[in-house]
Amino acid sequence: MFSLRGKTVLVTGASSGIGKQICITLAGQGAQLIITGRSTERLSETLQALAGEGHQMIPADLTDSALLAELVKGLPVLTGVVFCAGVITYLPAAFSNEAKIAEIFKVNYNSQIVLCQQILKAKKIAKGGALVFISSISSQLGVPGTLLYASSKAAVNAAVKVLAAELSSQKIRVNAIAPGIVRTPLLDTAKDIMEKERFDNAEKEYPLGYGEPADVANATVFYLADESKWATGNIMILDGGYTLK
Amino acid sequence: MEITVFVDNFANLFDETPKAEIGETTNFKGLEEWNSLLGLATVAMVDEHYGVRVSGDEIKDAQTVTDLFELVKQKSAGNK
Ligand SMILES: NC(=O)c1ccc[n+]([C@@H]2O[C@H](COP(=O)([O-])OP(=O)(O)OC[C@H]3O[C@@H](n4cnc5c(N)ncnc54)[C@H](OP(=O)(O)O)[C@@H]3O)[C@@H](O)[C@H]2O)c1
Repeated sequence: MFSLRGKTVLVTGASSGIGKQICITLAGQGAQLIITGRSTERLSETLQALAGEGHQMIPADLTDSALLAELVKGLPVLTGVVFCAGVITYLPAAFSNEAKIAEIFKVNYNSQIVLCQQILKAKKIAKGGALVFISSISSQLGVPGTLLYASSKAAVNAAVKVLAAELSSQKIRVNAIAPGIVRTPLLDTAKDIMEKERFDNAEKEYPLGYGEPADVANATVFYLADESKWATGNIMILDGGYTLK
Repeated sequence: MEITVFVDNFANLFDETPKAEIGETTNFKGLEEWNSLLGLATVAMVDEHYGVRVSGDEIKDAQTVTDLFELVKQKSAGNK
């Protein structure tokens, strides 16, 4: 079950945290990967950790349209894409000004959707392919301070539904995974802004504790594999039971 | 950097607490209105007005508004 042999998958945000683990897990299931992120150094570390041969890395800041176009030009025809690049900020509404909106949306929404658009335009996603967006549970909650982050992920959720409908005629499936808190370098921002103590205490709100990158990676395998051929337009909540209460 | 301006910027973050109740020696975390969102607002205000980043733990370690001011002053001096 869930073999990815014969699949060619592009992963964004591959240089760190969840994206890095997704690459390691997908390669372990037999996929050929093209990995991207900004840091060449950390991308190389991911590349070295991958099982199998023939994987490729293409470093790019996806908010730079020239680099994004260059990336798409270099792509083979794909059977899957994992959109995992993202940034976080914690700002009260009164400080979420236009510049901050642009800063967050530029990465979390615009860059991922433009990448998707260009891949579609270049016809670089095969029939029967799968797109997976890494959203966040905060897109469906009301956590104070997350106005911009949560909205950017809610925009991604909406895009997933529309894309799923539009691409169904080509049997291309589009799904999102909405994780709760997963321990990654992204959370250093949270820990820095919050208070370490409060951050650690918040884990008690998670019946199964905070998640690990592998938890998200395993769910990604499911959506990329042919076994999930009937699943599209889903937003999978993956949060250790956090939203049960 | 003027402490009076800093106190004013800080006091402006509050909605319920009268400005007169917030001065240089105020133990701000003892104020009834103080909460984690005001902690985020403090980080954002310091970033916007003084161009430096303070952490949640640094705010936790500060007792009075003057402590906060000294922290920001020290950080912005380090930036130059
Ligand atoms: N950790 C959590 O608790 C959590 C929960 C829910 C959802 N998520 C989502 O999961 C995804 C991965 O998060 P993470 O925790 O693994 O974060 P992370 O460790 O900080 O990794 C973020 C990744 O995004 C890439 N990235 C950021 N800005 C970019 C840009 N302008 N162009 C290209 N790549 C860019 C980074 O590349 P460089 O480092 O090379 O710049 C890095 O590979 C994000 O979309 C996040 O919103 C995380």
